[in-house]
Amino acid sequence: MPEKRIVLRNCGVLDPKDISTYLEKDGFKAWQKARTELSPEQLIAEIKASGLRGRGGAGFPCGLKWELTSKAPGDEKYVVCNADEGEVGTFKDRYILENDPFTLIEGLAIAGYAIGARKGYIYLRAEYHYLLDLLTGAINQARDRGLLEQFDIEIRQGAGAYICGEESALMDSIEGKRGEARYKPPFPPSRGLWQRPTVINNVETLMNIPQIILNGCNWFSQMGTERSKGTKVFSVSGDVQRPAVYELVMGSPLRELVEGLARAKAGRFIQIGGATGRIVPYEMIDTPMDFEHILGAGSIIVFDQSRDIVDIVRRTMEFLAEESCGKCTPCRQGTRVMVGILDKFAHGQGEERDIRSLEELSSAMMLSSLCGLGQAAPIPVVDSLQRFRSDYEARIRKN
Amino acid sequence: MKEFSATINGSPVTARDGMTILEVARENGIDIPTLCYSPELTLTGACRICVVEVEGSRTLVGSCHTPIAPGMVIQTHSPRVLDARRVTMELLLASHPEVCIVCDKANMCDLRKIAADLDVGLPRFRLPKHYFPMEDVSPYITRDMSKCIQCWKCVKACSEIAKKNVYGIAYRGFKSKVVVDFDDQPMDKEVCRDCGICIPFCPTGALCKPSPVRQAKTARPLVITGTAQQ
Ligand SMILES: Cc1cc2nc3c(=O)[nH]c(=O)nc-3n(C[C@H](O)[C@H](O)[C@H](O)COP(=O)(O)O)c2cc1C
Ligand code: FES
Repeated sequence: MPEKRIVLRNCGVLDPKDISTYLEKDGFKAWQKARTELSPEQLIAEIKASGLRGRGGAGFPCGLKWELTSKAPGDEKYVVCNADEGEVGTFKDRYILENDPFTLIEGLAIAGYAIGARKGYIYLRAEYHYLLDLLTGAINQARDRGLLEQFDIEIRQGAGAYICGEESALMDSIEGKRGEARYKPPFPPSRGLWQRPTVINNVETLMNIPQIILNGCNWFSQMGTERSKGTKVFSVSGDVQRPAVYELVMGSPLRELVEGLARAKAGRFIQIGGATGRIVPYEMIDTPMDFEHILGAGSIIVFDQSRDIVDIVRRTMEFLAEESCGKCTPCRQGTRVMVGILDKFAHGQGEERDIRSLEELSSAMMLSSLCGLGQAAPIPVVDSLQRFRSDYEARIRKN
Repeated sequence: MKEFSATINGSPVTARDGMTILEVARENGIDIPTLCYSPELTLTGACRICVVEVEGSRTLVGSCHTPIAPGMVIQTHSPRVLDARRVTMELLLASHPEVCIVCDKANMCDLRKIAADLDVGLPRFRLPKHYFPMEDVSPYITRDMSKCIQCWKCVKACSEIAKKNVYGIAYRGFKSKVVVDFDDQPMDKEVCRDCGICIPFCPTGALCKPSPVRQAKTARPLVITGTAQQ
């Protein structure tokens, strides 16, 4: 199964500094089509029928999110592009922004038209500051050509916090506040940015929009599986010969990606979906990559036989403890307790009861944390305890 | 206002549009513990001690901020709920100093009361204790941030009721802290005037009124003399 470049179709083909190279292809044709041939309702129906689901990790149906926002009462609405890309091992959005900022702008403008927003934001990860000029240039060129009528796009930069990729913290950050998870409901489609109805979509989600409008929802929904349509862009790294960004049809086996494209030689385990993602033994290499199985934001990190899983989990937890916003008890305190316990195991000082503590703590954190960070933080612990328990047991202090 | 019914702990209850699960539960005499919630303040949803089980929900939900919906089936004291609350309480106690015996709020402390209700004694988890120097320069308020559990009620009471913004939240994760002004200064005579509005909101001994008792104590340390050796 070769790569199928739909989202990435313009990457390496366009000059990202020159909008005319985009317009020479099919640039802004979808935007024109949407505004001349489709009402906002028809547009939303088209996206719903395509089966497109969010690419930022959670896989929420995109059309439904737009519909909820468009129907929510309010005369001021917003579209936000989540370009925070903080998940460990993801670099696909960066690759997209570097190579094809125009499709993203077109997708954002179409989303704005669909829900009746006059303003869009791109929330750019702090570490991607170097892309600010390129993106600003792309927005200005689109505006100069009259392609952003009645729709303004502003770039807001993050300040280096993983939590600000979480949609409610992201909105707080745009509002100029400390980025912290909000309790939900209300969800952004009813009360989002400045308490107004808001659509938040990942970069890759928005990149799919123009192609769906141009080629029709059936073209899109033919690709992929029952509940995962289209393609997915993956960031593959770790112990592979060709770490890179690859795009495959949804449902492709992990093996295709890891061995076929990235040229891994048999590893020990694979982390899928970043710090809060799943850890699977290498033997699960034939798992299909889709929402039905495992996907997340599409980061794939391969670890070979030389890697120590307990240490990897410990470092992952250190990252999560550092990045917890500190608002809710289970996440703020729980991640820190886990770091302490995992430290003991990493130094061969674990105790039998520590394993029980990890399990009891994991279950409580998953059940009662305020946001996705705390709810998913125990996943690497739970997965590794389930599949690689002997690695932990080997580090129990003997005396 | 529209009325509808829901079920709490197997009994039917009547709720009105806009009410939270907590409000309906309390109206029906069911007590759910809370630490960061106060009816006088905007909602926070931070402490997670108020979680309850809602049929069909993947996770537990915070009862203080989740609107009740028609037909909702809620468990406020199921084993799953109590387990989660106990872990949360143990996590709070793990970094809380073990100084209850000399704490001014020892007998009025919400944290301790809820811990007792949940049958939580010594926590099974280990955390470093927070140690911050006592801030007792202000004649109006004494702050001992070692005891703070980050409910943020003081922050909200100061900005929402007193209309001052003396407090803020700084740092992140386990290091996050309620600070004075923006630069984490100890509370002094200048920043905070004599309003004391935040003090009764504190669920622990982190905020206290400098009482005559305390002054007397400082002047004349309490000495316990035993008789065994005589
Ligand atoms: C801790 C945390 C970090 C997140 N980071 C990102 C991120 O960097 N980029 C992103 O697109 N979504 C991120 N998300 C998911 C967003 O909250 C949100 O679901 C997503 O932006 C919605 O867009 P989509 O529906 O197009 O996927 C994160 C979620 C959590 C809980
Ligand atoms: S009382 Fe509900 S989260 Fe604190």
